[in-house]
Amino acid sequence: MNFKGKTTSMVILATVLWVIFTICGWTGHHIVGMVLGVVLMLIHMMLGAAKKGTLDKKFFIYPLLIWAILWAASFILSDYHSRIFGQSMPSFTILGFHPSFAWTVLTYWIGGMLTLNVGFVLFKDLWLSDEDWDNFKRSLEEVNQKKEVS
Amino acid sequence: MSSGAKFLITLFSFGMIVVSFLIGWWAKKKATTAESYFGSTGLFGPFIVGLSSMAAVASAFALVGIPGILYSTGNPMTYWMLSSAAFAMAYIILGKKVRAMAEVGTVASLGDIADLRYNNHRGIKIIMSTIIFIGSIAYLASQIKAGSELFSHLLGLSPMVAGFVIFGILILYTALSGEVGGVLTQAFQGLVMVVAGIIIIIAFFTTTGGFGSVLDAVATAGTVTDGEIVKEFNAGFLDAWGIMPGSVAATWMLIPILGTVGQPQVLTRMYALKDPRDMPRLGLYASISHMIVGFMAVVVAYGAMYLVAKGLIPPLANPDTAIFAFADHLGLYAQLFVYAAILAAAMSTASMFLTLSANIIARDLPSALGFKISSEKQINTSRIFIFVIGILSIIFSLTSDSMVAILGSFGWGTLMSATFPVFIIGLLWDRATSEGVFSGLVVSLILNVVSLILERRGFSWPGGMPWYVNVITAAILVTVVVSFFTKGATGEDLDERVKMVIDL
Repeated sequence: MNFKGKTTSMVILATVLWVIFTICGWTGHHIVGMVLGVVLMLIHMMLGAAKKGTLDKKFFIYPLLIWAILWAASFILSDYHSRIFGQSMPSFTILGFHPSFAWTVLTYWIGGMLTLNVGFVLFKDLWLSDEDWDNFKRSLEEVNQKKEVS
Repeated sequence: MSSGAKFLITLFSFGMIVVSFLIGWWAKKKATTAESYFGSTGLFGPFIVGLSSMAAVASAFALVGIPGILYSTGNPMTYWMLSSAAFAMAYIILGKKVRAMAEVGTVASLGDIADLRYNNHRGIKIIMSTIIFIGSIAYLASQIKAGSELFSHLLGLSPMVAGFVIFGILILYTALSGEVGGVLTQAFQGLVMVVAGIIIIIAFFTTTGGFGSVLDAVATAGTVTDGEIVKEFNAGFLDAWGIMPGSVAATWMLIPILGTVGQPQVLTRMYALKDPRDMPRLGLYASISHMIVGFMAVVVAYGAMYLVAKGLIPPLANPDTAIFAFADHLGLYAQLFVYAAILAAAMSTASMFLTLSANIIARDLPSALGFKISSEKQINTSRIFIFVIGILSIIFSLTSDSMVAILGSFGWGTLMSATFPVFIIGLLWDRATSEGVFSGLVVSLILNVVSLILERRGFSWPGGMPWYVNVITAAILVTVVVSFFTKGATGEDLDERVKMVIDL
């Protein structure tokens, strides 16, 4: 995924999402805000993981996109089950949890942590390979030498 | 509590303080350069840095205040305490870039990175340092207050005596070893918190029977009273949103997760890592340890709710005692670990913010004002400031409740509003200009103060939204908009090496 030249557009989108998130909070549209918050975090991770404006598609799909879907689903399902049961005892539990809260534990906490961390460890070279780092240090050395000469 | 139990808790906790001191004493031989003393730059592996980052993030408030909030308002705060994915996210977003900046030039503080990115822009460094300093003092004062009052209450000492014993030792080893000792002692204290977490989590399941039993108890308890103390329970209390407005749950999800990347205790640890290719493992260690400590805060709140709902203990007059009520019910082994964990949380966060604030005064602000001071002098000056700030903070935090409460408003969100424009936007976007970032910081500083005044006067934002969200959004918006109309530290004016970091 090459978004070189589109970084500015992504930063603008992120800024707009910050504003919309805030307005959603003011107006009580918290689920919309939370789902847009996921998009906001996804944009930041895409910008951070990209190398020279290019993000490996594999890294985008897993862990980033899978994580985003997991979290968006988590918030929507939490709200869904909260609306169904209101203040009354739920007719079923998920591993003993209130069904609304179960999604916080299973998908937001454990699922989110495992998805991002395992994907990050497994595909670490797509984020920063030995070659990337060595090339960076070599280029840096060249620039430093040029600066010293001039 | 029996005097024997008090003696053992004191012995156990004091043992932790002594080990911390010995680690700090040993570490002073490594703190010989400005980079090592102020930043631990490139010194440690992922396990040490991971535990240290988690310990510095998880403050005493996380173990005492948060169970109290959960006990009072239900589950929304779990979004904050179960934000363990935040570490991996932070490192994916900024890990390699912050670490790479330490290769471009001398990086021993966040101010150094700002200098490199924005061509030594004095205004950026001064305002960022000012906001971080205010946030650091707020954190420091609240840790000292929590730790000192805890042990003064336990031992019947005056808080001042307890404060000077516990934090006096901390000040000494922090001054001697700087961030080298800071990182190592925080890693040890993090380990204490993790061990305590595992024990308390197991105890929760064996005592209550698990979350299903708690839900049953809470759903059927109705209203529990003890004299004038009333606690209302219903099943909805344990759904995802509890009894808070939804916007609070949304804030407590986004701000801790995305805010972790903007916390000084995480940013500074990115350049403490020896090999940037270890960043994914760093994320894993920090996340796993955070999972255990975060879950401990949740289960003690659930444990306290269960005990109250079942009538095993009376409803709590002060929700912040939830962790102690649960530990007292479990017995001596739990009390030993709970007190040690709270002390470890207070000490690790306090040492982090003590070095940070002293470094700002001894190093970042003088350089921003144009004073050139040798590395050796900077280290010596910083040592003096660690003593001065530390001692003043002990006195101030234990004698001025109202000021601590006021400063308490400046925490996570305040720090995030200062670092987001400078580092997150600045290192992800090469078109972020020095004028844009400076404007964002000015707005952040003004709005932090204005919001504080408004809050003290009882103003509440629409939707019950915490005020710092507005400040962060305004700072980011201003940074980006002003960057479109200005050029400083971009294009030809951007150091070629910094451009390489942004592209990395």
